Amino acid sequence: MSHDGHHSVVIPAPGPEFVPHTVAHHFDTPVQEFQAAKLGFWLFLATEILLFGGLFAAYFYFHESYPETFRLGGRQLDWKLGALNTTVLLISSWTMAMGVRSAQTSQKQKTLMYCALTVLGAAIFMVVKFFEYKAKNEHGLIVFSELFHPYDGATGSIPWFKDYHGVMAGVPHGHLFFAIYLTMTAIHGLHVVIGAGLILWVMKGAAKGRFHAGYFLPVDLVGLYWHLVDLIWIFLFPLLYLVP
Amino acid sequence: MTTNVPVIDVHAEAHGSGSTHYLNCSKGFWSWAGTLDHKRIGLMYLIGTGVAFLAGGLFALLVRLHLWQPDGLLFKDNVQYNQIFTLHGAFMVFLFVIPAIPGSLGNMVLPLMLGAKDVALPRLNLLSFYLWVTGAVLAALAIILGGFDTGWTFYAPYSLYTDQAVVTIGLAVFVLGFSSIFTGLNFIVTVHKLRAPGLTWFRMPLFVWALYATSILQVLATPVLGITVLLVAFERLYHIGIFDPRLGGDPVLFEHFFWFYSHPAVYIMVLPAFGIISELVSVHSRKPLFGYKLIAFSSLAIAIISFLVWGHHMFTSGQSTYAMFAFSFLTFFVAIPTAIKEFSWVATVWKGSIALNAPMLYTLAFLIIFAIGGLTGVILGSLNVDIHLHDTYFVVAHFHYVMMGSIALAFFAGLHHWWPKMFGVMYDETMAKIACGLIFVGFNATFIPQFIMGSRGMPRRYATYVPEYQPYHMASTIGAMILGVGVAVMVFCFVASLFQRKKAMQNQWGGVTLDWLTPTPPPLENFAEAPTVTNEVYDYSTLDYKAMQTPVR
Amino acid sequence: MSAHHDDHSHGALQMGHHHVSSSAMFFNVLVALLILTVITVGASRIDFGSANMLIAMAIASIKASLVIAIFMHVKWDTAINRIVFLSSFLFLSLLFIFTLADHATRRWDHEMHTTRTPVDKQWVYKQHEHAGDH
Ligand SMILES: [Cu+2]
Repeated sequence: MSHDGHHSVVIPAPGPEFVPHTVAHHFDTPVQEFQAAKLGFWLFLATEILLFGGLFAAYFYFHESYPETFRLGGRQLDWKLGALNTTVLLISSWTMAMGVRSAQTSQKQKTLMYCALTVLGAAIFMVVKFFEYKAKNEHGLIVFSELFHPYDGATGSIPWFKDYHGVMAGVPHGHLFFAIYLTMTAIHGLHVVIGAGLILWVMKGAAKGRFHAGYFLPVDLVGLYWHLVDLIWIFLFPLLYLVP
Repeated sequence: MTTNVPVIDVHAEAHGSGSTHYLNCSKGFWSWAGTLDHKRIGLMYLIGTGVAFLAGGLFALLVRLHLWQPDGLLFKDNVQYNQIFTLHGAFMVFLFVIPAIPGSLGNMVLPLMLGAKDVALPRLNLLSFYLWVTGAVLAALAIILGGFDTGWTFYAPYSLYTDQAVVTIGLAVFVLGFSSIFTGLNFIVTVHKLRAPGLTWFRMPLFVWALYATSILQVLATPVLGITVLLVAFERLYHIGIFDPRLGGDPVLFEHFFWFYSHPAVYIMVLPAFGIISELVSVHSRKPLFGYKLIAFSSLAIAIISFLVWGHHMFTSGQSTYAMFAFSFLTFFVAIPTAIKEFSWVATVWKGSIALNAPMLYTLAFLIIFAIGGLTGVILGSLNVDIHLHDTYFVVAHFHYVMMGSIALAFFAGLHHWWPKMFGVMYDETMAKIACGLIFVGFNATFIPQFIMGSRGMPRRYATYVPEYQPYHMASTIGAMILGVGVAVMVFCFVASLFQRKKAMQNQWGGVTLDWLTPTPPPLENFAEAPTVTNEVYDYSTLDYKAMQTPVR
Repeated sequence: MSAHHDDHSHGALQMGHHHVSSSAMFFNVLVALLILTVITVGASRIDFGSANMLIAMAIASIKASLVIAIFMHVKWDTAINRIVFLSSFLFLSLLFIFTLADHATRRWDHEMHTTRTPVDKQWVYKQHEHAGDH
């Protein structure tokens, strides 16, 4: 295989509805380009695991300290909505896997359809999440309008948590569960939104015919990202909604 | 699946002749600001981290001046003193020591050493640099917003309560973290996928091995720092409570998170320095490295072990006695691979054909200083001794022997070594040697008194102190001034060389790794002909002496 | 291992050697994941005592393994990619193990200097049992 910088390698399009792909000039072969990008993306996903891992470590740490708080807090969440969202994400993960498969087999329309279904799953997930947050807001467990109000150390009451005498009255530091719930689901939700955005971007390229059996790298990578979002939720669901 | 797809050649024109290189191949602001060339990005990193180093150094000099007398000389109150030493620590750690060697020398040299045209992901490389710039701008913004006085460690609960710009600097650290992650990620992929034909793992120069081990740490440890500073910001914004004891939280959890990153971070900083020293002892002694494989594997061993010892920073934090025992015990294991390196370097120099030029002088200075820095680390890793020495100047002196005395000196060594490669010009050797001498003397004069006063109980981070400690502080301040002058001479020497334009040789020092086999300065895509490696690494029998006497064009 | 060309350097196709899973397999995995979700909910209704967390995490881990192996193609991916992704869990487990081990063996006695006996680690809870009057 030649290593001089004077040639560009082009992967031809498999059909008239597709466009060819030019391999970046510093790579010798398409396989090298593919594997380099993929290894890089797996490394990035590893960083995501460790980033979320910190949150999970905090969860377990305080689940150990205040088991009653967590058990009672978990009961304030609607597990049915949680299960619904789990189902939605699992199905969307499946549609994404099918989307990648369609790109691998040069099925342009199917790629677009499965990607669109995945975005739809993301949208449903976020709508359900919105109603969940809304309910927490109404019950005074997370009052979003007062989220960033300053905390008065002297009275010891947190502005966004209004439940000191309500359902969480019997347990220590009732706000802690909801703070962790909010932080974890908000960061996860951000990933859902980013993932949906990436899938829309991939769809733009797919519509132009950029992805086919010869070149489907972006679809593959965005798919991996979406599965990671699903992966994290698989752990969040039992930990938050069905606190063991 | 189709197997025979024709490879289409879209443009087959040849590149320019030897006199064009990466510095002059294109001009204008955007040819630099938008460059994807690893060498130009490396140069921009060099300028950026260099400025951060000078700023951080200036803060250090201010701190030392203030401590000239027991009740303080310069600052109007303790808060201001706290802010200045925090700035010194934060700038040096996050803007200089962590990104400097991988960002500048690593970017410049790694693809050359691998025989590659660039790093594997050039766009991500540029993004890393701009994330660094963003982090630097945010850090500057935090100063404008009133500064921050938490120390570079952002310990909770103080960082949650202080009324300063902690969220902004936290954001800066988060962004700088991802800059570091992307550099590491890029280097791992480059090493795996872009090695020249014949360049097997055990033919890779040790600087590459060191950067590879560093990258593993950057990728696996830095995300935890990211989430930690994010959580501190969230605590300040909406009071999660996990780090805040008033809300049922536990500050010790913060320390766990912080040191899960920040102990490995010590090796993110020092492993590239080890890599530079490994290259330089070999080239400037013109001898193959003693224990090549041992040095390569010890880098990986250090990387792995460094994840098991973070609790040695928390011996007085209230963590469990059992955890402290385990962490102290495991800490001693770090000494094994580290000592293997030190012995291998010394054995390499032994009976070598030593050229006592500026890079080698810095290297020898490193060998002495790092021995002291490493051994005092073993002292501090012992649980019982650390209870006495914790938070004293002994700790300050220890980590400056590693961070400043070892890492910065190795960085300077590498800079002198690759300067002729990067620019095609030579600096004034005499001036460079004088600078090295001043830095070595000034450094030791600064920190030896700190070892002594620390072991006698002088606590760190205090704006004032009891008069008994004044002689040590005065000695330390004088040392810092000498060190400052040394650095100034070195910077002047480098800058002057760019104007004097005294031509360097094609292969200035007689290196045999691929970085010295390409024209000096290297052309845009590094190699006119694709290199194929057939020799073992550091095989000086293949050295082409003609290239050592041919000046650059 | 030669870095510059793959074992499958027979063509310019990126997917020259790439595995394409069958639709049926993907669908079966989806069904398995949904069934396991039902089991997750069901198991949370039964009290296994201190094993509750272990069981919930075990089921979640099986689901995660399915997603990783099949949907994310790790089963057919290169060794280095597998090592990279799985090592993130390994290093994360170090954070968990040391941090939680400290928590589990810590002396949660807020009056350590007066009483020398280990006390209930939920002392904060006891302290705030009547915290209703905030
Ligand atoms: Cu350490």
